[in-house]
Amino acid sequence: MITLENITKGYLKYKQEYVALQDINLKVDKGEFLCIVGPSGCGKTTLLRMIAGLDFPTSGQIMENETEISGPSRERGYVFQQYSLFPWRNVLDNVAFGLEVQGLADEERYQKARKYLKMVGLSSFEKSSPQELSGGMKQRVAIARCLVNDPQVLLMDEPFSALDVQTRHKLQKELVHIWRKEQKTIIFVTHNVDEAVFLADRVVVLSSAPGTIIKTFNIELDRIRDRTSHEFLNLKKEITRLLDVEP
Amino acid sequence: MRKILISLILPVSVVVILTILTTFTGLIPPYFLPSPSEVIQSFETLLMNGELVQDTSLTLMRVVLSLTVSALIGIPLGILMGWSDTVRDLSSFMVGILRPIPPIAWIPFAILWFGVGLESAVFIIFIGSVFPILINTMDGVKRVDKVLLESAYTLGASDIQVLRKVAFPASLPNIVTGLKVGVGVGLMCTVAAEMIGSNSGLGYLIFTSTSMLDTGSAIVGMLTIGIIGLGADYLFSRIEKEVSW
Ligand SMILES: Nc1ncnc2c1ncn2[C@@H]1O[C@H](COP(=O)(O)OP(=O)(O)OP(=O)(O)O)[C@@H](O)[C@H]1O
Ligand SMILES: [Mg+2]
Repeated sequence: MITLENITKGYLKYKQEYVALQDINLKVDKGEFLCIVGPSGCGKTTLLRMIAGLDFPTSGQIMENETEISGPSRERGYVFQQYSLFPWRNVLDNVAFGLEVQGLADEERYQKARKYLKMVGLSSFEKSSPQELSGGMKQRVAIARCLVNDPQVLLMDEPFSALDVQTRHKLQKELVHIWRKEQKTIIFVTHNVDEAVFLADRVVVLSSAPGTIIKTFNIELDRIRDRTSHEFLNLKKEITRLLDVEP
Repeated sequence: MRKILISLILPVSVVVILTILTTFTGLIPPYFLPSPSEVIQSFETLLMNGELVQDTSLTLMRVVLSLTVSALIGIPLGILMGWSDTVRDLSSFMVGILRPIPPIAWIPFAILWFGVGLESAVFIIFIGSVFPILINTMDGVKRVDKVLLESAYTLGASDIQVLRKVAFPASLPNIVTGLKVGVGVGLMCTVAAEMIGSNSGLGYLIFTSTSMLDTGSAIVGMLTIGIIGLGADYLFSRIEKEVSW
């Protein structure tokens, strides 16, 4: 379980204190799929980075189970919003990175890496260098690179935003499948309300800066979700309205 | 091919103009600037008596040796300075003061510390070439995309692994650039280096022929250093391309 208690995060911007996030209280249960939506610049990435241990709150506490998060860990995988592949490694060696630093032998780590490359549909690109991939393909490799480590918690920052609708829907289903099968905790940031309602157990809506939680939606739909069902569309409508009235 | 032809236009015209000015019109007296034919004569003499080959190989050996020492010291130090703010704060003032000092100024200390001979020459060339390597390496490591370092940490890499598997390969292009600049500066230091304690090398050749007003031989030495520099530059540019992505 991940607990955020009274989190406030300020940055120094042009020598002035700028509050990015204010009074965030949030509990994420083990095995929960949580989506965070909110306007651009409201602090979604900041929030995710603090959970990853890449950044620290100005005040408040972030705990994983009973211990305060003090730095990054392979148990909390992170998919970055921006491109993050190692440009001097080919696709396969990018995916295998986490296993390599763990000291796994070549054969074992390539076998695992290939499995996840196949899952994101890029088996035929294992020898390619990242520069030869499209934006969406790079992001898929980054997802495979994260999953291969089998982290307990997955932190994903708009991982599907560069993808076309078909690929996006396919990967959303794949992600739900992995999440159910391996009982991971997923915290997923997105701009896309449809995506949030499709994926989440719970959707947290943030206000524009300084980001605060304005509302939380429990998505009590079947796990096999129909994007065209009444309930689905109603939830979408409600969340979209809430975001639209946000100045 | 076209590029080669174009690049030859200027040197060929210079030789032609100099030939006209020195040999045919005598507008420039021979003690002022040797004519191209005199330079060729000196070249033939130096080639025949084996001096040129010997000087070239000795200078090359000294430069390669110095460059190796510079790389062995400059690259690790540069990586540390780029990686750790503390190390950088600790050393950048010191490096800033030492860097602008002309290598030739170190000659007395080179002699005091290493005596006359190979070590002194290597030390002088080292002083010239270590700073470009150090500074370029440091810059490379400092500028590694933060998201790559953070990716590695979230994937479970330790500090040492991030340094070895991310910061180093990411800054390799800068390191090669540092080596390229380092060779160039190192070659510039050969005259100063071979002034002390050696009786051979291209720097020595230039230095002694100049003092004996044998300007033809001096120019042969100068051009040979220039050509070595050009070759080294080409080589490192190729490596640069090889290691950049
Ligand atoms: N390192 C930093 N230094 C100063 N200000 C920062 C820093 N990182 C983020 N901010 C500021 O904090 C606010 C929130 O940024 P953040 O990246 O978390 O937004 P976001 O919700 O992820 O936006 P987007 O949807 O566009 O990705 C922004 O105003 C941003 O300028
Ligand atoms: Mg963001």
